Amino acid sequence: MILVIDALNEAKFSKILDEVYKLRARVFSGRLGWEVAVEDGREIDQYDKLNPAHIVCLDDDGEVVGCMRLLQTTGPHMLADIFFELLDGEAPLRSAQIWEATRFCIDTDKLKGRENRNSISHYTSELMLGCFEYAQSSGILDIVAVIDPVMNRVMKRSGNAPYDYIGSTKPMGVVSAMTALMDCTDERIQSIRNFAGITHDIFADEDKALALFNKGAKAKAIANDIALEPKHAPLAPAAQKSDLQQYCFEQLSKANSEKEIAAALDLLKLLSEKIGTDDVSELQRITRDLPQRTFTATSLTEMEELRPI
Amino acid sequence: MDLIDLNAMPETEARFPAFIDDLCDKLELDYASYVAMPPLSGDVRYYANYSDDWADHYAQNNLHCVDPVIHKSVNSIAPVDWQRFDRDQNFNLVFNPGREFGIPNVGISVPIRGPYGEVGLLSVSRNCEKSVWSKLKRKIMGDLQVAAVHMHDNVMQSGILPNVLSRPALSSREKEILQWAAAGKSQQDIGDILCISHRTVEVHLRSGRSKLNALTTAQAVGRAISHGLIYPG
Repeated sequence: MILVIDALNEAKFSKILDEVYKLRARVFSGRLGWEVAVEDGREIDQYDKLNPAHIVCLDDDGEVVGCMRLLQTTGPHMLADIFFELLDGEAPLRSAQIWEATRFCIDTDKLKGRENRNSISHYTSELMLGCFEYAQSSGILDIVAVIDPVMNRVMKRSGNAPYDYIGSTKPMGVVSAMTALMDCTDERIQSIRNFAGITHDIFADEDKALALFNKGAKAKAIANDIALEPKHAPLAPAAQKSDLQQYCFEQLSKANSEKEIAAALDLLKLLSEKIGTDDVSELQRITRDLPQRTFTATSLTEMEELRPI
Repeated sequence: MDLIDLNAMPETEARFPAFIDDLCDKLELDYASYVAMPPLSGDVRYYANYSDDWADHYAQNNLHCVDPVIHKSVNSIAPVDWQRFDRDQNFNLVFNPGREFGIPNVGISVPIRGPYGEVGLLSVSRNCEKSVWSKLKRKIMGDLQVAAVHMHDNVMQSGILPNVLSRPALSSREKEILQWAAAGKSQQDIGDILCISHRTVEVHLRSGRSKLNALTTAQAVGRAISHGLIYPG
């Protein structure tokens, strides 16, 4: 089922929206490797502060399984400001009747192995349908969307092929991104519905959706609590190990001369097995504070070798 | 829809109320209002065709400070049907007396966002049955979107924003298509010439019209020529 979250109802659906931001972090930062800012496990950018409309897809348990974000092209939007390189230096579209869709994603990890009307393919169609039906009812004629080639292929195979593209495909993270055009016509809507076998009204009753989500979230919290209960008495913390590590780091940061640094590094190297440090970033932080001249290639290489294998 | 073209009218304040009246006339509406909220100047512009009685009551009671039509709708990206508002105190403050003044409680507000972060809102309403309203709404939604942006852009360019910001940024494709339109080619022809679908031609034309503040392609061609963006056909 589809839920549209916008500025008018986001207070009511703040917990669902939170799941949307977490899903986006997993997909765009994690799976797709885009350079998006993730804070506290949530991907939120400046366009989320412009009160966009979020099309959110919930499964039968009320869990968020997909989402996308819509903005007007008359005002600030991503193609104009962020993805402009996809447009090869051309000005972006601007029209009262064109919306921009971005951050399209489906929770493929959660849906893996599910079949029929619980499958990735089904929810992808439902989410797309949510976008087109909502846009159409708002007097919108076309959607311009930034998608990746995988999404593009999925859309072509599900009765929802973009009718054209703007600009060119460019690498972005571990995949590429492209700008597709889709109309919001009855034909496209019917074609997606036919492909996915959806005949009902996909938009959720707001109160029912919220109740379902809360029920699912509660069940999940209980399951988590049970899982977190320790089965055995916790092992004593490896105090000795961390003390040793701490000592080495201190020696390194206190080092005043090249000689002392070399000695500290030697000690570190010697003990690296016992320390078992994976704290390369901590090491780099300490050495950053050291006098510049000691930043020799050798000492850096030695630190590299400390990386756990 | 054949709306008044604000850009073609003498640059006086009077063209805005005229546009509001024309909009109501063409789209079978009773009332329309437009409010612009530029981000920096705080110079709010407001045009409406409500009765003087209601306008006085609204102003005297500072209803613009609480009116959900303004404060809620402006944060949406989609047009907001007034049925979405909570029936709370603010709603009652505006709509209860409104009823006495003959103000309909079925209506819709179309939010507009401009490129400089400024926002505007076109609200329309009509006294009618809910079933009539939902049918009418579906019919006029697209026209309302176009009208809202047209009104907004013209108000913004009438001195609120510096004119230097208003030179239209057309893409090569938009210019190319307008150039062929200037040569008298139809959308279908242009699609064939450029080997793109006629829907793509239409999308670029629509975008070009919006940027040139034009309601029709003919106007867009005229303005593109006057801006020196394309050559006379």
